[in-house]
Amino acid sequence: MKFAIALYSPAHAPSSRRALLFAQAVLAGGHEIVRLFFYQDGVHSASSSIVTPQDEQDVAAQWRDFVTDNQLDGVVCIAAALRRGVLDADEARRYSRPAVNLAAPWELSGLGQLHDAVQSADRLICFGGP
Amino acid sequence: MSTLHVLSHSPFTDTRLNSCLRLLGSADAILLCGDATYALSASTAPRQALEARADNLLLFVLDEDAKARNLPLPEWATAVDYPRLVALSVQYDKVNTWL
Amino acid sequence: MAKSMLIISRQAPWAGPSAREALDIALAGGAFDLPLAMLFLDDGVLQLLPDQAAGELQQKDITANLQALSMFGVDDLFACHTSLAERGMGPTELNVETLQVLRDQEIAALIDRYDQVITL
Repeated sequence: MKFAIALYSPAHAPSSRRALLFAQAVLAGGHEIVRLFFYQDGVHSASSSIVTPQDEQDVAAQWRDFVTDNQLDGVVCIAAALRRGVLDADEARRYSRPAVNLAAPWELSGLGQLHDAVQSADRLICFGGP
Repeated sequence: MSTLHVLSHSPFTDTRLNSCLRLLGSADAILLCGDATYALSASTAPRQALEARADNLLLFVLDEDAKARNLPLPEWATAVDYPRLVALSVQYDKVNTWL
Repeated sequence: MAKSMLIISRQAPWAGPSAREALDIALAGGAFDLPLAMLFLDDGVLQLLPDQAAGELQQKDITANLQALSMFGVDDLFACHTSLAERGMGPTELNVETLQVLRDQEIAALIDRYDQVITL
């Protein structure tokens, strides 16, 4: 089956790790992930500026590696990201902001990408909250 | 149509479980994960609410969350791991996560 | 045939960006002519209170955006009767006229009718 997975929580939320483990199990089960779409506080799960203590899980880094290793389409909602101060190089330049905290493999795009994923997939699974 | 409802908030501070139980369809199931697993704590109102429906509600619990919280599961709840959760998401027509 | 989506909005209008971000999903889908509906549930029904003064909080007025839904082709709007009653709201005093108020069992049937659902 084709899955669209949407994440609404930051990397430190248990649901972000849960979503990642689910996504890994989706691929391990022979299914396809059409797109990962990060919305609301999920944009923070794509941040490249997160620093975790050595003895803790770096879920943001794990998400990055998962998307890269499996060549997945990882989209971060641009409106939600801007509102929360998650900017790639283009947006940081556009708005004269001092920091870039979104980089490859993540792409900023609109909610249309969420709808497109839902239309292409057989299942939409959302993760968020605790 | 059948829906798998996913809950992760503690039932003691939050209304999601109550609202979900009100709106549950007859073919629907519930997955408790994260802090929603506390709904199975003994001698609590959420546990009683779930037990009252045990005959016609399929209740799944994410195994790692129940184990982390040292919550023994009643026989009317089924522990699932991630591969089984993927299978459930295929089996049910849609998944409704109470974000 | 396009897959249909039900968006369930459960947060009060100024409890953070959630109400706005639920609406944005609906408006984005409407812009693509997708079959969508919105259900206001739990604190989400508080978005339907008339005569709100969002400007007092330097917030945007959500009523105007709710009324814009039909301009984007999102005509199917619903509210939970129980949620309204819990909050002392009468079904006829809401800021969106074309909204249907549903009982719990009707909501279960509503959820069944849609291909996908997002509850935020």
